[in-house]
This record gives sequence, structure tokens and C-alpha cells, in this order.
Amino acid sequence: MANRFTILKNSKIRYFDSILFLTVIFLIVFGLVMLLSVSSYDASVNYGDSAYYFKRQLLNTGVGLVAMLFVALVPYHFWQRLQVGIYVFSVVLLLLIIPFGTTVNGAKRWLNVAGISIQPAEVAKLAIIIVLSHIICKLGNFINSWKGFVYVMAPSLPLVFMIYAITRNLSSAIIVLGIAFVMCFVASSEYKRYVFILLVMIGIAALAVFVVVQNQDSSIGFRGERILAWLDPNAYASGKGFQTLQALYAIGSGGFMGKGIGESMQKLGYIPEAQNDMIFSIICEELGFVGALCVIALFLLLIWRCLIIAHNAPDLYGSLLVTGFLTHIAIQVILNIAVVTNTIPNTGISLPFISYGGSSVVSLLVEVGLVLSVQKEIKVRDY
Amino acid sequence: MSTQTPRRYVNKEMKKKLLVLFMVVVALFILLIYRLYSITKDNGDSYRKQILSQQKYDSTIIPYKRGSILDKNGSILASSEKVYNVILDSNLLNSDSDCIEPTFSALRKVLNIDTNKARDYFDANKETSRYYIVAKKQSYEKVNELQTMLDDPESKVKGLWFESEYQRVYPGGSLACDVIGYTTSDNVGLYGLEEHYNDILSGSAGRIYGYMNDEGALERTTISAEDGNSIVTTIDANIQSMVEKYLKKFNDDYSNNARTGNGANNVGCIIMDIHSGEILAMASYPNYDLNDVRNVNQLIGMPMLDEKGKRVIDEESGTKVTITEENVHSLEGEALYMNLNNLWKNFCISDAYEPGSVSKPLTVASAIECGSINGNEKYNCEGKLEIGGYEIHCHNRYGDGLLSVTEGIERSCNVCMMYVAQSMGIKNFTKFQHVFNLGLKTNIDLAGEARTDSLIYTADNMNASELATCSFGQGYNCTMIQMISAFSSLINGGYYYEPHLVKKIVNASGATVENIEPRLLKQTVSEETSRKIIEMCNTVVTGEYGTGKTARPAGYMIGGKTGTAQTLPRGNGEYVVSFMGYAPADNPEIAIYVVVDRPNAYGQDDAKYATRIVRSILTEVLPYMGIFMTEELSDKERAELEELQIEITTPKNVEEEENTGEEATGSEEENTEEVPKREEIWKTFPIDPATGYAVDPNTGEYVDPVTGSSIGYTMAESVNKNPENAEGEDNTNEKPKGENVGVAGENATATEEDSPW
Repeated sequence: MANRFTILKNSKIRYFDSILFLTVIFLIVFGLVMLLSVSSYDASVNYGDSAYYFKRQLLNTGVGLVAMLFVALVPYHFWQRLQVGIYVFSVVLLLLIIPFGTTVNGAKRWLNVAGISIQPAEVAKLAIIIVLSHIICKLGNFINSWKGFVYVMAPSLPLVFMIYAITRNLSSAIIVLGIAFVMCFVASSEYKRYVFILLVMIGIAALAVFVVVQNQDSSIGFRGERILAWLDPNAYASGKGFQTLQALYAIGSGGFMGKGIGESMQKLGYIPEAQNDMIFSIICEELGFVGALCVIALFLLLIWRCLIIAHNAPDLYGSLLVTGFLTHIAIQVILNIAVVTNTIPNTGISLPFISYGGSSVVSLLVEVGLVLSVQKEIKVRDY
Repeated sequence: MSTQTPRRYVNKEMKKKLLVLFMVVVALFILLIYRLYSITKDNGDSYRKQILSQQKYDSTIIPYKRGSILDKNGSILASSEKVYNVILDSNLLNSDSDCIEPTFSALRKVLNIDTNKARDYFDANKETSRYYIVAKKQSYEKVNELQTMLDDPESKVKGLWFESEYQRVYPGGSLACDVIGYTTSDNVGLYGLEEHYNDILSGSAGRIYGYMNDEGALERTTISAEDGNSIVTTIDANIQSMVEKYLKKFNDDYSNNARTGNGANNVGCIIMDIHSGEILAMASYPNYDLNDVRNVNQLIGMPMLDEKGKRVIDEESGTKVTITEENVHSLEGEALYMNLNNLWKNFCISDAYEPGSVSKPLTVASAIECGSINGNEKYNCEGKLEIGGYEIHCHNRYGDGLLSVTEGIERSCNVCMMYVAQSMGIKNFTKFQHVFNLGLKTNIDLAGEARTDSLIYTADNMNASELATCSFGQGYNCTMIQMISAFSSLINGGYYYEPHLVKKIVNASGATVENIEPRLLKQTVSEETSRKIIEMCNTVVTGEYGTGKTARPAGYMIGGKTGTAQTLPRGNGEYVVSFMGYAPADNPEIAIYVVVDRPNAYGQDDAKYATRIVRSILTEVLPYMGIFMTEELSDKERAELEELQIEITTPKNVEEEENTGEEATGSEEENTEEVPKREEIWKTFPIDPATGYAVDPNTGEYVDPVTGSSIGYTMAESVNKNPENAEGEDNTNEKPKGENVGVAGENATATEEDSPW
């Protein structure tokens, strides 16, 4: 496929990846429709306005689209110059949560600035992509050494630590770490090291599960109970397993063709936060297995287009920016669906472009803007 | 910085890695798709059922509004108000920890309740519970305030919702309690109109229910509730409250007088429109608050009953026990229920008693109707008459001499009545009891009317002495409503109307569903007989020897008949005194009947306990009804009326009218003067200066200086109880009559056992 896109230094014909653009637009519109369907019950019960979540998300999406256009028009090398500032900015935002953070649903994860609530963890994901792209570019072949690997991971670790320590948001911490790890993997020519690290991680996770199961009668912590609920959701049906179990009911009851849009019963107060992390289960209930397959296919299409752009990017920096976005999307989609299907323990991860959340949609659209900015620099041969 | 970095390009290694990454992502996606597929395929059906089982299909009931009970002018006697239960959804509230404290403090502030119990419940069940009743029966205003808070996200109130239901409210409290009855919390009427008209007052509840349609989806259907019909009664709330005021006053005056307890075991009053059978007022004392029927403090002062409904007798002293503040809380279980029933029952329809002399006009009317007397006969009263081996005394044991039938009524002479009854015989007497509906239910539209069919004699089981005592109302039992209905027919031209309390049924939107017309059942006596009886009964109030003079209200002339009946066992010193009156005297419109069951006084055998109540009630009721005054007022009466702020409506030519009235009574007296009068020896007795009564030098007994009737009580007698001397107006030396009337004996209220409910 790459032969279609031969880079010509002085070509005036600009490339525009319409498939990527339309996929993003389609996901956003589809996300808004599903959000309205899923959240209207909860919104009318709690806010007396069935479109409460929808309206707010629509506003956030509008802001995100403007930001996306702006970023897309700015040459992406511009951000390379600001990268130290962006990194410091995201650290400061995270630190500001300690004195000024607001608590929603028992978690202190938000900053309220002039009526707009910002989730600093989402900003951190964007920052790590920009910063790491620059560092990897600078390292060159040095990245293939252990030292180089440490150099790349070093700036991400403070963010990961702060996200987990300040906001107790394990999933965002994992995502930031995952983005750094995958970008490093893609940029280096090494395999063994990454397979080794991955195996060690899986080993540690397995050990953690083993320890928790062995000590389930003793005073196990918050995370421990989640693991037990993952292994046997029915045993924790009224506690930690409730959300998972209700999500599984939703998926199972949807069948292959679904109940039809708007017809979900589980969204009527049975699945907590259905408009948020659990929105995929309602998609499965209303649109069925076929609908879920289509959503996954859309994300795959998006990832594929990013792959093509990363392949043909005019330089390494641009390619790494796109790789970062690709990784971000892939990790979140996989983890979200894995949580909803109880493939991994329950941890709050939103589905990109579809779940409710202002910071998430704005920062994702800024990333899309970066990708668009990169792809417009691809020069195609004038046939 | 970046400008110094050499521009690097995407190398082949990286492109390969990107492809590897993509492959890994695709592999993971395929894994997840397989996972989704397996959940759908393997667990689809069972999860679908799980979801359906979680849904609450059990249908929700929409409450209906029970119909109101209105008085004749449309005032509300009973109505149903919408009230709300406040429900806490702990699960929802728990989802936002910021809202927990504000929600509980809002509940405390708005509902003014202690939320500790709700808080404990919340803490214990915050993850699972979605339904907990925090407060019941809250008003709309309070609930609306909470709803406003719920709608406003700023106030951080969450997890509350409201369930509506109706609560029965009686704005008058105890007003007409015996007539209205009350409802249980599930809208079932008990006693009175609430029970009798339960089906009409009840609507049908609506429902929201869910069902599975052909495609297995849940559908919900709503059937709205149908509100009950309202009833417009014949009760006039103003007259009713006047009546209740004076029954209460009687109780206040006489409670804890001769014995501990209320002013009488029961006091009842009925006012009836004699031309339609409509009940204008019906009340009895003790009464109870319809909004708080189970408050045991209302029992204080009443006779204490055991679990079988019999009077409790103190084992040591042998006296009857009365409920007091000290012992009221010892009542429990069946015994408490018995006593509450005794409070809730309507004395006017549920209790049978021996009517006494009030029945004398019935005896006379029967005899005239069947032709055995014409009303002009004269009988010699020697104070007693020997019949069937028994000496049956008159209230005046010295004898009144030769009396006309009219005088017999005026002075309430038993001997006279015995002669009258003898003249018509047992067959005619029992036939006319049936004509007057005695022993039969009146079918008044109230729940709990007593059956009295076994409490009267039939032609087959009545003997001569029983006929004699029945002639003056002893030996058989009746209820107040039976007596006033029969008496009304005597004074309205002979028309017996079925007594009734409801004149109209209207639906929830106010349209008339049914008009209930007066129901004329039969002609009991001829109009001529009716006129004669009115003349006779007028002398009871107007005549010199009239026993009911004290019943006449200021400015009016009324007629009537007193009654003082012994209870069983004879000679126990306990009496049921009564007065049956009607007004105006010459053209009656209403009848009033007051019965005082065992007045709380040293001498119970005095009809004045009843006549004074009648007088007080009529003093207010007659002007209220717009009946003009016909009699001249003394200064004292004028002052009395002014104090009550009653408009004096005595016409200016009153003297003329009064003259004609006097002439009428005068002519009667002329007739009597022709009869050689027996010496009124009691007039020669010395007058006791302390009491004003004459004292019989032979027995030391007090007697009325005018009528010669013995006053059952003297200071001496209270110490030395001689049953012979404790006899009163309707004095018989007889043993209790036939076993079949025994039920009505010692305790008239005991007959409630026979009530159909």
C-alpha cells in the first residue's frame, strides 16, 4: 500500500485523509446519539432534563472541534518548541488538584476553572505524546539501548505516579504508561526487551491476583475486592460486581441484533454510570452483537488510517505523534471493552469519542488535530 | 531547540514495528469480539431473563378518592385528602456522597422529623435499598418544598420520591361521630354512614401494570382510578353541634356527681323532621374524635366492660367499676376492644332499653284506633292496680283519683294506662306494637341498628300483667330511633316514614347520581287520632300537673311526653329517663327525643334530667330553624335569650294567641272539674324547708308537693336502702318480666351483642 504514497519533496499536491476525518466525525455523531439514548433516563431523574448530558457533551464536542481545526492548521513542529511548557503545564494541573480539586462520585479528579471542569489526567495523556515524540527524535539510535529506554520512560513516570497518587485513577496511569511503552517499542528496533518487560508485567499481575485470592478472607483492599469480583461477579453481585454483572446482562440480553436504539432496560437505573464507562454495554444491548462489531470496526478503521499516516509521515516526529494517538485510542478501546465484558478487573476507562466526558473529548480531538496536521504534510506524487 | 535537531525520517524498522503493533491490536480486538460473541451466545437467554426479573412488573396501585360526607347545606363532615409518603432511594443517594448530609438535613428541616432511624437504615443498606418510607402522610406543601429542592441541583438533595395516598379527614372532630363512623386505613368504613354507604363512597383503584408483549418487550398500561361518590346527609351541622353542646354540658354538670364517671352511662338525642323522616341531628355522649378513634383517654368515665361485654364488678366492694385515668391503661386485648366498641357504637340505634312512659301516647292511640276507647273515658287511680296476682303501682302511690285519659297522659298515670290497655286486650296491643314498628328494624341507613324482635312480647307469650306493664313502657325494649319514628307518626297525621340520613348521592364531579326521597311506609293511626294525641301531649307541658313543664323553651309552646323507666333488676335505683318532644305544639314540624341512661345523680328517677336538655336544645334550635316565637317572654327568659344572642321573634299580638291557648286548656280543666276529685292527701304533708318537697309522715319519704309522685331519694334512704321506697314514677312491685326480655335488663347496653354487626 505504501507505494501509492511516495514522498516528493517539492510536490504541491497536499494529501487529505478523508477516511480518517469521516471516521472521527461518524464516531462523534454516533457517540452523541448513543449518549442521548443512554443518559436520558438518568438525566431526567437527577436533573429533570433528559438532554442534560447530551447538551453538555454537544458543547464540549463543539469546543473540541474548534480546537481540532486550530491544531490541524498549525504546523505540528510548532508544538515541538512548546513541549517543555506543555509538560510543566500538565504537571502543574495535576498538582493543583491537591488544593483545588473537586470531588465527583467520591473521586477527586477534576479542576473547576471558571465553571469549566477539566480532568488533568486527560491533558497528561496529550502532553506525554508530544513530549515523548520529541525525546525519541532526539535520541536517535540511542533508543535501542537500555539507557535509551530509561531516557524515554523517565519523563512519563512522574506523570504516571502523580495521576495515581493524586487522583487514585489507576486506569489513566496505566494508559499514560502504556502510551510511553508502545511509542518506545515502535521507535526502537528491539523486540526481546519489550517482550521481556511485558512478560514481567503479566507475571506481577498474576502474582497480585494470586495473593489477593489467597488472602481473600483477610483485610484486602479496594483493588483486591475488584479482583475477586472480576473472578466471580455473582458472588459480589450487590457490591463491586454489581456494575460488571449488570453490564454482562445488558450485553447478553441484546442478542445478535439488539433491542433497537432507545430500547435498553438496563440503562433505566440498573447500570451505574451507564453514560460513562459502561456505555459500550448499552450499545451491545440496543444494537446487539452486530452493532458492537460495527463500532469495533470503526475504531479499527481509525487505527488503520493512523497506521498509514504514521507510515508515510514526512518525518519521524510527525510519525511518532500519530503513533501516540493510535496507541492512545487502541489502549482505551481495548481496555474499555475488556472491562465491560469482564475480561479484566473493573477499572474506570472511557470509550473514546462515545463516553460522556468533556476533557476526554476535547483532548482526543486536539490529538486528531495533530494527526490531521501531520497528514496534510504528506506529499503525494502528481500522476 | 527543535531547529537544532536534525530532521529524522521514518525508517523501515519503525514501519515494521507499526505493522506489528497493528497486528497486536487486531489480535486483541478479535479476542474481545470473540468474548462478546460468547457472552451473547452462551448467556443471552439467561441474561435476558435476569433483566426481566429485575424489572418491577408488580403493578402499582393508583389510589382512588373516597367520597365525601356532607351535611344538608354542603358542609363537609368527612372527606379524603391526598397525602404523601416520603420514600428514600438509598442506592441513588449513596451514588453522590456530597448529597447525603444535605438530604437528611432537608428532611429534618422540612418534615420536622427525627431522621436518626432513617440514617441508621441508610448506613446499613445504602448499596441495595431503593425503597424506605421515611415519613408517612405528609401534606402537599411539605412535599412540594422537598420537590423544589430535588429539582435544584444546588441544594444537593437527592434520592427522594413520593407516593400518594388518601387520608380520611373529619373536620368536625367528634361532630356527629356516631352518625358518620370512621374508616380503617385501607378505606373500609366502620360504623355509621361510612359503613352503611361504604360501597357508594368507595371508588375503584386504578393500576399501572406491566406485561410482556409478543416480542418479549415490557409494556406498561395505566388504568386510572375512579373516585367514589359523595353523600349529602339530612344532618344539619349547626343543629347537630347545638345538640352536642348540650349533651356535653349535661355531662360536665353531672359527671362524678353521685358516682365516679360520666354524667350518665349514655345520653342520646335525635331530632327528626316528622314530615319526611329526615334526621336533622343524632348524637350520643360519650363521643369520640373521628380523627383519633383509638385514643383510650376517651373511655374515661365510661362503665368498664370485660372481654365478654359485661360490666366489671369490683370483687371487694361489689360495686360496678368505671374507667378512670388510673385503670384505663390496664385495658388490653379483647377487653379494650369491647370498651372501644361501646364508645364507637351509636346509642341512638344500637342500644335497646325499656322506654317507660314515653310509650303511653302509643298505648292511648292504639286503643282509640281499635275503637276500645274514644278518649273521653275516665279511670279511677288509687295508686295501684292488682293484675294477675301482682300489685302494680302508680308513680303516685296515694292515687290521683278519677282521671280522664288526657289527664292520665298529663300526669303520666300508670293505672290509667293499664285500664286502657285492658280495654283493648293483648291481641290488639301486640298488633299495634307491630303497626308502630316496635320489634322491627326501622331500616335507617346506618350500620349497627339493633334487632329488637326478641325483646317484645307477641300475642302468644304475653299475659295480663305483662300487658299492664307494657302499657306504660316497661317489660319490652326498643331503640331510640324506633320510638321517635313511631311517635312522629302519631303527631304528623299518622304517616310512618322510614327514618333516613342521606338525601342525595352525588358523583366526584358534583352531579347528582340519585335523589333519596322520603319513604312513606304506612299509616299508623288516623288523622283524627293524631289530633287527639297532640292535644293530650300538649297538656304534658302546659297542664298544671304536667310532667314535662320544664321542657318548654322560652318563647315557644311544645308538646311531648316524659319517661322514667326502671331497669332490671327492679328496685336497683337505676333509671332511664327520657323526654319525647315536638314543636311547635299546635302544628308540629320536628320531634326531639332525649334519653338519659342512668343519670349520675342520687335520685335518678327524675325526667327533668331529660327535659332540661330538651329545653336547652330547643331554645337554640327552634329560632335557628326560623320558627317564630308564639309565647310571651318573662324577664328571666328574655335575659336568657339575650345571653344566647338569639333573636326574639315573639309577634306583637302574642297576647291574643296566648289567650286562645289558655282557653283551650281551660276548657279541659273545666271538664275535669266535674269529676269528683280524690283528696290529694300529699298536699297536706308538711313541706321540708331544705328541699321544698313534701314529706310523707308515715314513711318519711319525699314526695312532689304538686303531683304527689315520690322522689326516689331522701337523705334517710341513701343510708338505709329500702327497695320498696326507691321506686319512682313508673313504679311496679313486680318481678322482672319474661325471660326473653332479660337481655335488656340490668344493662341496656348489653343488647349490643344482638346487633347485627
